[in-house]
Amino acid sequence: MGLETILHRELQIINLGLEGFAESLREKGAAVTHVRWQPPARGDENLLSLLDKLK
Amino acid sequence: MLIKTHVHKNVFRDSVYLMRLSGLIRELEGVAAAEVIIGTDHNKKFLKAGGLWTEALEQEAGANDLVIVVKAADESAADAAVARALDELVKEAERDYQVGEFQPRTFETALKMMPGANLALVSIPGRFVRREVDRILDAGLHVMIFSDNVSLEDEVALKQKALRKGLLVMGPDCGTAIINGVPLAFANEVRRGEIGIVAAAGTGLQEVSSIIHNLGAGISQAIGTGGRDIKPAVGGLMMLQGLQALVDDPGTAVVVLVSKPPAPVVADKILAAAAQSPKPVVVGFVGADPERIRAAGCEPAQTLKEAAAKAVRLAGKSLPGGDALNFFPSKEVIALEKRKFKPGQRFLRGLFAGGTLAYETLVMAWQALGGIYSNLALDERFALSDAYRSREHTVIDFGEDEFTQGRLHPMIDPALRNNRIIAEAGEPGTAVIMFDLVLGWNAHPDPAGAALEAVKEAKAIAAREGRHLVFAVPVCGTDGDIQNRAAQAAKMEAEGVFVFANNADAANFVIAMLSEK
Repeated sequence: MGLETILHRELQIINLGLEGFAESLREKGAAVTHVRWQPPARGDENLLSLLDKLK
Repeated sequence: MLIKTHVHKNVFRDSVYLMRLSGLIRELEGVAAAEVIIGTDHNKKFLKAGGLWTEALEQEAGANDLVIVVKAADESAADAAVARALDELVKEAERDYQVGEFQPRTFETALKMMPGANLALVSIPGRFVRREVDRILDAGLHVMIFSDNVSLEDEVALKQKALRKGLLVMGPDCGTAIINGVPLAFANEVRRGEIGIVAAAGTGLQEVSSIIHNLGAGISQAIGTGGRDIKPAVGGLMMLQGLQALVDDPGTAVVVLVSKPPAPVVADKILAAAAQSPKPVVVGFVGADPERIRAAGCEPAQTLKEAAAKAVRLAGKSLPGGDALNFFPSKEVIALEKRKFKPGQRFLRGLFAGGTLAYETLVMAWQALGGIYSNLALDERFALSDAYRSREHTVIDFGEDEFTQGRLHPMIDPALRNNRIIAEAGEPGTAVIMFDLVLGWNAHPDPAGAALEAVKEAKAIAAREGRHLVFAVPVCGTDGDIQNRAAQAAKMEAEGVFVFANNADAANFVIAMLSEK
């Protein structure tokens, strides 16, 4: 697989984090889905590593 | 004065939102200092250093909690400030429901909503980046990582994984890119064209793409790699991947590489790859030895301006009159300005929002004027022990950690930098104050307007002591940017500031102003 999946196709963007980035992309007319991201497992690192092992 | 701490358990908001909220609370009556911040150990240290430590902070707040700390004149002012912060947080949470549209909380849900997604833009806290981006790459998406504080080990692992899958990982700490005509994060509004850029330098990419636009040509793709890509540990993985992508891209006729000089072992690899390119490659490794680059069959550029100009020439596209803003003061004007200085006024004070622009100025001024003190020290002997105090010739990058801890980047909030303009005016040795205006998506909506008061006050301070100050201001951006380059330049010129179409011209003017001859 090469970079043609991004350089020559319309961008469809998933934005995780700063909402301002999603807003400016929308303003520009780009397709964007904003994730209202929160630390997984409420940021508990031990719980997180357990959850990852379960997958 | 008393300090009040309120711990809001299991609440998270992004850092830009929290810094804006902190700024709002600080403005309230009777409030001396305030932070609304996530209670990580790192942030606790920052609060401690800022004199905002309390027992409650230490005992109750953890990395999953939001903390409101207020230092105020009395109990009622502190309570009012905490209440206001809580009120704002509630309003912000309710806004979600008012908007009515469903906002996913995880990448996986978002991908179900947008199954054709091909790029993720990631600006979450650095310690969570590896985990999220691993899964994003598994799902086959390219990634731009804006976040910093990602370990070098995580960066290498993610980039190696991306290469195996034929995907791009731009960053961590990648501030800007333009993919397929879409400006990502801090990009400028430029026309599409035949020049492709790969840059390990955020404002370097902004400067080169803006100059190319201002000269009449355009950008096919502008790929950011993050500044550490050219360190030996990463080995230029994405610089090489990006270069190959542009060589293969039928829409790209000329390639420009932009970065600080890579480690020699990495530079060799990149130049060897560039030498194989059937398309012309302009190598703008700011401050690097041009002979090595020429020996590899590439076109060296000493400055960002030169990189842009060479690329435009190679693409065979340019405006007949060149850039309308292009201007350099005559020898007579420079001599006249120099005569207005008082004896002892000899020094440059360069105050930058753009890291690459600071670095380029440092390199150019160093060659012409000798050692320059800086928080980006090219030489340990000229490292500033306190970046808040200038010495002799000084160049400061306000995007470095000592200025951005708990604050927005100076491209969004130039307040610290603007205060420094005023402080430098009170120093009898200051002759020229150079500062940059960086325009573009997500940057401050009016950086010239925000700097205007500081310039006026600085001039008044110097005038009271019988001194003349010269201001040199490069504008990085285009007339397509929401701030509008021409309007920004006009605001500065009305105040008697020397405005330049690019950073290198401004630096050359400063050098002419401060050279002995």
